[in-house]
Amino acid sequence: MTSAAPFLTVSGLVVRYGAVTAVRGIDLRMEEGEIVGIVGPNGAGKTSLISAVAGLVAPAAGTISFNGRSLENIALEDVVAHGIALVPEGRRIFASLTVAENLLLGATARRDREAVPADIERVSDMFPILRERRRQPAGQLSGGEQQQLAIARALLSRPQLLMLDEPSLGLAPMIVDQIYAHLRAICGQGVTILLVEQNAERVFAVSSRIYVMSGGEFSLSGSAEEIKRDSRFDAAYFGVHMREAAGGL
Amino acid sequence: MSAPAPRGDRAVDMLRRLWPLLALCLIVAGIALAASFAPAVLQRRATQGLINLTAVVGLYVFVGNSGVLSFGSVAFMAVGAYVSALLTMRPAAKSVFLPDLPAMIANAQWPTLPGALAGGFVAALVALVVGWPLMRLSGVSASIATFAVLVVANVVFGNWTSVTGGQNSLMGLPAYVDLWTALGWALAAMAIAFLYQETRSALLLRASREDEAAAEASGVNVMLHRLLAFVISAFLSGIAGVLLGHFLGIVRVENFYLDLTFLIVAMLIIGGRGSLTGAVAGALVIAVLTELLREAEVGVQIGKATLAAPPGTGDVILALIMLLIILFRPDGIAAGRELTWPFNRN
Amino acid sequence: MERVVQTLVDAVSVGSLYALTALGIGLIFGVMRLINFAHGELMTIAAYTLLALVGLPLPVMLLGAMLVAVVLALITERAAFRPLRNADPTTLLISSFAVSFFLQKLLILLVGSRLKGLDFLPGLGREIQLVGVRLQLLQIVTIVVGAVLLVVMTWFLKATRLGLHMRAAAEDFRMARVLGVRANGVIAMAFALSGVLAAAVSCLVVAQTGVVQPRMGLQLVIIAFVGTVIGGLGSLTGAALGGFLVGAGSILLQALLPPELRPFREAFVFIAVALVLLFRPQGLIPARGLRERI
Repeated sequence: MTSAAPFLTVSGLVVRYGAVTAVRGIDLRMEEGEIVGIVGPNGAGKTSLISAVAGLVAPAAGTISFNGRSLENIALEDVVAHGIALVPEGRRIFASLTVAENLLLGATARRDREAVPADIERVSDMFPILRERRRQPAGQLSGGEQQQLAIARALLSRPQLLMLDEPSLGLAPMIVDQIYAHLRAICGQGVTILLVEQNAERVFAVSSRIYVMSGGEFSLSGSAEEIKRDSRFDAAYFGVHMREAAGGL
Repeated sequence: MSAPAPRGDRAVDMLRRLWPLLALCLIVAGIALAASFAPAVLQRRATQGLINLTAVVGLYVFVGNSGVLSFGSVAFMAVGAYVSALLTMRPAAKSVFLPDLPAMIANAQWPTLPGALAGGFVAALVALVVGWPLMRLSGVSASIATFAVLVVANVVFGNWTSVTGGQNSLMGLPAYVDLWTALGWALAAMAIAFLYQETRSALLLRASREDEAAAEASGVNVMLHRLLAFVISAFLSGIAGVLLGHFLGIVRVENFYLDLTFLIVAMLIIGGRGSLTGAVAGALVIAVLTELLREAEVGVQIGKATLAAPPGTGDVILALIMLLIILFRPDGIAAGRELTWPFNRN
Repeated sequence: MERVVQTLVDAVSVGSLYALTALGIGLIFGVMRLINFAHGELMTIAAYTLLALVGLPLPVMLLGAMLVAVVLALITERAAFRPLRNADPTTLLISSFAVSFFLQKLLILLVGSRLKGLDFLPGLGREIQLVGVRLQLLQIVTIVVGAVLLVVMTWFLKATRLGLHMRAAAEDFRMARVLGVRANGVIAMAFALSGVLAAAVSCLVVAQTGVVQPRMGLQLVIIAFVGTVIGGLGSLTGAALGGFLVGAGSILLQALLPPELRPFREAFVFIAVALVLLFRPQGLIPARGLRERI
C-alpha cells in the first residue's frame, strides 16, 4: 500500500443524459501499474463511465482525481496532456488520413516534439503492420489493424493511463488474442490500463482486478481470481444487484 | 366495458383538441375587427399583416413539421401571384403589358376565387415536381436546394418576358384584397395548417425530425411525408402570393426575392418554428415591430428639427432580433408549443 | 476556333472564382457543419475596403481588404457561431442567414444601397495574345491566382501540423479533441482562411466588374453553395470541384444556348445540379467518414 497520491480515484460519479441516468454513483480506484477491467452487458453504463473519466461528458455529480489533480472541470482537449489516453469504442481512427498521420495526431499534445519520431518507431516495432501500411489511408485497414492503429495512436501521447472501450468488439478471436498480448506488453512497459469489455473471459485473463457493472452501478468487485470463482457473477453481470462489502478495494 | 362518453364530453374533447386553432383564429379575427374601425391607412397595414401571416403559416407547414428550413416559399408565392394575375386580369390590360401571351391565357378572365385557387394549385404542382428530387436530400443540403429553387424562380420569372413581363412590373391586377378577404384567407390557411399537422403523416414527419435513421428503420417513408408537407406549404404560400399581388395590384419579380424571404423566415424564427402558434406570434410581433420602426424612421419633431432613425434601420434591427433569438432562445417565442386549453378538467 | 478557346478560358476563369468561393465555404462546413451565408458579406466588405483605400499603393489595398475580411470572419465566428457550436445544422444555417442579412443591411445603412464604381487594376482589362488567341489579361491572372491559392491551400492542409489538425477535425471533430486538437484554434483557422479566400475572390471580381454594391457577395455565394452541395458537403476537393463545375458550366451554357434561352442559363445550371443530386444525393465526391458530430 503506497502512501503516494492515489493514481486514479473516482468517487460518487453520476452521469446523466437528459432524463436518463447512465451512471448511478460509483466509486473506483486504480493503482499505478495494474490492469483493471470493467465488465458488464450492453447498456450497463461502462462507456459513460469511461467517457466521464476521459472528459467527453461532464459528470452530474462526483469527483475524478488523477495523480492528485481533479479532472471534472478540465476541457476535453486538455485531458490527454494530463496523461490519460482513450481508445474509444469503434476505434474512431481517421479513415481519410494516412496511418502515419493518424499516429502523428496521437502526439498532438506533446511538448517534446523531438522525441516523437523515436516513439513512432517504437510503436511500429510493436505493431509492424503499421510500418508496412504507413502511407495508406487508414480506412483501408482491416478491423484488427485499425484497432492496433488506435492503440498505437493512444500510446503516442506517452500516457500514464490507457483506457480502452471494448477493444475486442467486432474482431476475430485470434486478432483479439494478439491485442491482449500487446496490452500485457504495454502494461509491462509501465502504462496502467483500464479496460472496458462485454467479453468477460478475456478480461479475467489479463486484469488484476475486476469491477462488474450493471444498470449504472458496480454490482461486484474484487480481484480477478475472486470474481471468476464467485457464483454470483452471472447474476451480478445480468443485473441482480449484489450489495457486496467493498472494504479494502 | 365502459359506456361511450356522453355527447357533452365528446364535444368538449373536440373543443379541447381544436382549441389552439380556435384561439388563434379568435385573436387574429379580433385584431382584424379592431383594425376595421381604424383609419384606412392602418387598415391597409393590417391587411398586409394578414397576408404576411398567411405566408408565414405556409412556410411553417413545411419547416415546422419537417425540421428542414426552406428558403423557397417566396418562389411559390411568386408562382401564385403570376398565375392568378394572368388568369384574372382583364384581357385589355394583359395585351398592354404582355402582348406575347398565348391566346388562351390572353383572353381568359376568371373570377377572383378560381384564379386564387389556381394560383395555389399551380404552386403546389410546381412543388410536387421540384420537391421530388429535393426531398431525398439531408437537412442542410435540402435547405440549400430550396435556396436554389428561389434563385431559379427569380431567374425564370425575371426573364420570361412574354409571360411575366420579365423585369417590368405587371400592373393592372384586380385589387380585390381588402381587410376581410385577407382575414378570410388567413383563417383558412391557419385551419389547413392545423388540420394537416394533426394528421398521421405530419405526426410521422415530426417524429422523424428527431432521428431520421430510426424513423426510416421503422418503415416510415420520410421522403413522401416531407413531400406532402412541401406541397401543402407551397399551396398556402401560393395563396399568400395571390393575396399580395391582388392587394398591391402589381407584381414585381424583385419583390418576390431575398428581402421578402428574409422577412418571412425572420417571422417564423422569431415566433417559433415548431408550432402554428409560433408562426402566428411571429407575424404579429413583426407587424407591431414594423409599425414602431416605421414611426421611428418618420421621426419625432423637436423644435425645428426632426429626430429620426435613418432609413434602413428597421432592416438592421429585424436582422439583429432574429440573430439574438437564434442565439438565446432558438425555439422562438412560442418555443414549439401551441396555445393550451385554459380550462382544466376537475 | 478562337472563340472556342476564348470561351474555354472564360469558363476556367469563372470556374476558378467559384471554386475558391466554394472552398471557403467548404472549409467552414468541414469543421463546423455550418453553411456560412455570411461568406458573401466577407466578399462585399472586402470590396468596400478596396473602395475606402483607393489611392493607396496596391499592396496596401490588397492587404487591407484581406485583413478586414479575416477580422470580420473571426468576429462573426466568435459572436454568432461559437455559442452555437453544438447546435443542430438547421439552427446554424439560420444563424448564418441572420448574420448575412444583418451585415448586408448594416452596410446599406452605412453606405447606401446604390452601386459604386471602382476602377481597380484597370491595367488587367487589356487584351493580350496567347497562342494567337486574344484573351483578357484579367482572365489569365484569375486562373493563375486561383491555381496558386488552391495549391497553397492543399499544401497547407497536407503538409502542416495545423492543416493536419483541420483535416482530422473535419472528419471527426470529437475524436480530434480527445487527442488534444484545440477546437477553437482549428475553427478560427478555418474562418481566417475563408476570409483570405473571400478577399482574393472579391478583388478579382471587382477588377472584372468595376462595380461595388451591397448585394455582390450574396450573388456569388448562392452559386458557390450549390456547387458545394453538388460536390459533396464535407469534402474540400468536392467543394472546389463542384464550385468549378457550376461556374464553368454557367459560362459554357452561355455560349452554347440559343440567344433566347441565354438569360435562363442559371436555371439550366441548377436543373443540371438537381439531376446530379437526384442520382447522387451525397454529391460527386462525398466526404469519407462524414459522421454526425455527437
